[in-house]
Amino acid sequence: MIIDKINSSTFQIRVNSRIYNIETLHKCFYWYSGKFSIDIASDNELAVITISDFPEELEFDDILTTIKKDLIDFKTRDIVAKETANIRTLLIAKAFANNDEFDEVPFGDINDPIGFDAKEF
Amino acid sequence: MQMENKIAKEFRKFKPFDFYQTGTEKYYLLPFRFHQINSEKEVIVNEVGDFLIVPIGTARRIAEKEIEYEESLFIDLVTNFFISEKPIPDLIDVLATRYRTKKSFLDDFTALHIFVVSLRCNHSCHYCQVSRVSENRQDFDMSVENLKHAIEHMFRSPSAAVTMEFQGGEPLLAFEKIKFGVEYAKLLNKKYQKEITFVICTNATVFTQEIFDFCYYHEIRISTSLDGPEFLHNANRPKLGTKSYEMVIDGINTARAELGHDMVSALMTTTALSLNYPIEIIENYIENGFDHIFLRPISPYGFALKNQKKNHYHTRKYLDFYKKGLDYIIQLNKEGHFIVEDYTTIILKKILTPFPVSYVDLQSPAGIINNVVVYNYDGHVYASDESRMLAESGDFTFRIGHVKDDYKSLFYGEKARYFANFWSNESLAGCSDCGFQTYCGADPVFHHASQSDLEGYRPTSDFCLKNMEIIRHIFDLIDKEGKQVLSIFNSWVNNRPIIKAL
Amino acid sequence: MIQLKTRGFAVNIPEKLLAIVLTDVQDNEIVCFSSSINLEIVLSTRIPTSSSTKCMVVGIPSLMHLSKGDIVLIDPNGTINTLFRKQSFHNSLFITDRCNSNCLMCSQPPKNFDDLDHHFKINTELISLLPKTIKELGITGGEPTLLGRRFITLLEQINLELPTTNIHILTNGRVFAWKNVVEKLQRVENKRTVYGIPLYSDYYQQHDYIVQVKGAFRQTILGFHNMARYGLRLELRIVLHLQSYKRLPSLSKYIYKNLPFVEHVAFMGLEHTGYAIKNNDILWIDPKEYADELEESIMFLDTMGLTVSIYNLQLCLLKPSLWKFARKSISDWKQKYLDECVNCALLSNCGGVFTTSKVHSNYIKAVTTIAGQIKE
Repeated sequence: MIIDKINSSTFQIRVNSRIYNIETLHKCFYWYSGKFSIDIASDNELAVITISDFPEELEFDDILTTIKKDLIDFKTRDIVAKETANIRTLLIAKAFANNDEFDEVPFGDINDPIGFDAKEF
Repeated sequence: MQMENKIAKEFRKFKPFDFYQTGTEKYYLLPFRFHQINSEKEVIVNEVGDFLIVPIGTARRIAEKEIEYEESLFIDLVTNFFISEKPIPDLIDVLATRYRTKKSFLDDFTALHIFVVSLRCNHSCHYCQVSRVSENRQDFDMSVENLKHAIEHMFRSPSAAVTMEFQGGEPLLAFEKIKFGVEYAKLLNKKYQKEITFVICTNATVFTQEIFDFCYYHEIRISTSLDGPEFLHNANRPKLGTKSYEMVIDGINTARAELGHDMVSALMTTTALSLNYPIEIIENYIENGFDHIFLRPISPYGFALKNQKKNHYHTRKYLDFYKKGLDYIIQLNKEGHFIVEDYTTIILKKILTPFPVSYVDLQSPAGIINNVVVYNYDGHVYASDESRMLAESGDFTFRIGHVKDDYKSLFYGEKARYFANFWSNESLAGCSDCGFQTYCGADPVFHHASQSDLEGYRPTSDFCLKNMEIIRHIFDLIDKEGKQVLSIFNSWVNNRPIIKAL
Repeated sequence: MIQLKTRGFAVNIPEKLLAIVLTDVQDNEIVCFSSSINLEIVLSTRIPTSSSTKCMVVGIPSLMHLSKGDIVLIDPNGTINTLFRKQSFHNSLFITDRCNSNCLMCSQPPKNFDDLDHHFKINTELISLLPKTIKELGITGGEPTLLGRRFITLLEQINLELPTTNIHILTNGRVFAWKNVVEKLQRVENKRTVYGIPLYSDYYQQHDYIVQVKGAFRQTILGFHNMARYGLRLELRIVLHLQSYKRLPSLSKYIYKNLPFVEHVAFMGLEHTGYAIKNNDILWIDPKEYADELEESIMFLDTMGLTVSIYNLQLCLLKPSLWKFARKSISDWKQKYLDECVNCALLSNCGGVFTTSKVHSNYIKAVTTIAGQIKE
């Protein structure tokens, strides 16, 4: 991460866009957009976050600390969301299915040494 | 025979623990969210609201697949549905059923039906946004015809149990309408066979024997307004001066004597003044025989709704008030007094139980229409109580029609479908990743009123600020005080006092 | 300890016969009646001196365990098995010795030959002989569901012949993972039927290890899931030993969150017999040593409104807070008290110990009352 102070109310943060993708950045900085203006530009290698109208009463270093932590947190959220997207869809489909179209098929052995089949029922 | 013996022998041979491992060291993620709760811990929450309090950074370790099989955390993550040892977990159907259970309050649809039978009132409380006319104007009562239409809509609700709540103004000033309403509902119910709960929200100052007899006969509950100690309660009702508190206490006691202690409940209305006196208000409720209290925030509806700065200030002061009050109530419970804080209990039910929890102001999909509907004195129908308060200031965004409209156009119409875009926090900006999502809700009415945006802008939302801090605080308490506070919380959730062991 | 089996010399007994005991012991004799051959059968401790055409079993060592109304199975080889005791609260139908699980602590190790037909025939006749007024009837084994389609037939017959009896079925419930099975069970009237099914851990590997079957946990939980869907009544049974006690509090929370519809949770002390003796090293733990875990688990479930019981544990081994959950659960025919229990103040409330157990806790001792207060 590279930080540049442009002037007393404008800063630029540059991060590797392969570590922090555009969705992560948007979701992260959404929470700061009530405090100051944010512009995000990103390409394959680099993302540039421009912070302007930074209020006088806030300390940039303090905000930077929370931004760093939040970036990691939102990256974690992004990993989880991407890996679990299919399961979440499956869960909702199963939860609200009106029939047993989405039921799992039972699995495994039900035998004793002599032999038994659930279908016998 | 030889073959059978071989099979039997192998089957009956005892195998060691490791033999029964079916996964690999690699694991797969199940949906979960997280949020920091104090300087050392974060809470991870799965898709159905199960939680684990873990050291900060654990969520990241889980996501980056750094949890080792040998860690005791590994097993807890599997059994609590945070990770799976297979790409599709064996018990996904169980998880799906639990999700369905959590949302099953939707099956009931609209259960709370509010009937504003009159705007007339004998008080003029300075925070009231609704009643502005004096006692004698009959033009502000609901007509019998509209009342009938509204009741017929109530019975069209799929819910097996409905609550018929009379509000105003002061609804007892239109007692004849209440009588008609209750009797007509009971008549229709011969066919529908729903379980009906009747409630009258009243200032408890206009009771008559006839009213008590009617309420007793029909098992009608009374909900009244008690702001706290005398000086507080009276300060909110300047026109009546010093008599207001006396009158309401008298009303409460008489109602209890006539109808039964548990048939009378009280709700506080919080003002800026109230926020300085959490302990006094709680003590006053206990003194007056209540063992449940709802520490409500200042209602932002009405004046200054769009004054963001003022609302933030009030919200922060409220959070102080709430924490002090909750602390005190917990302390009382530790000393053996069973006192319950109602808002905390709603959230605790979501955290500690697998059951559906529907509360108008804190659910997803939101309570508007899905849980509550308001039939106003003029026959217009609103998506919630706050929706009709907005109408008093000329904002009809949440008016969904008139009682003469058909059920489908009211409850499933264009407006309902429009609101649906904003009423699930699962898909709202900011909420969709929030660790507290399953415990919180969506409130398009509040966000429209305070931010002119039904979706809501989370960074400056008082709804978000309030709920995130309350939920975080609850988890912080669970983390710091552990078993003792958990057993108190469990007793609230089950509404069963803890019986001390021998 | 009550006898359930005895033997004498059979005279004129053509085949295995179920017979109802008509009289209490009188003059060393009991008269029974078999409806299938429509004849009386005399059971006697004496040996007759002359031959007879009567149906008899003679030279039986003792008949003191039998009384009027009991039902016995008389074998041509002279064996007399008591299948129903009128005075007992613990009567069960025995389905089979076969089992598709192999629990480490099984008190009645399974057998690997097919006895389903044998017991089915007996049970079908037995059900029609049982008094219509019996309050409770168990169904047990081995694993009863191995009876397959005939399991449903048996339940249908019970519904017909014993319409007011409460049925308690002990099963591993694994076959309930197959929806077709539960669907069929639901069609047989089930409001008076409770299924007692074991669950030993919230973690699949632990449960599968204890049950000694891969995939058992998954089948069992899915089975519960189907039971809830079709409205079958469930009771959970948790046997307490070295392999199950550590995660007991987690198991309680798992049960509450995922199986909140369960009607009853029974925490059971170990019966130290059968496989439990062979696996002693990995199973035995003195109940005093898991007292904390047990208390935490039970208090949690109780606070959350679930019905909980403790079976097969002695009151002196339990924390006083748990005494109200302890039941006198050991079947009368295998129950006793130890010598040290004679003067115990809690004797009448305590279930005692298994006569079948080879090992008991070191901490069993009489609890004495001092000035009206119970003190250990």
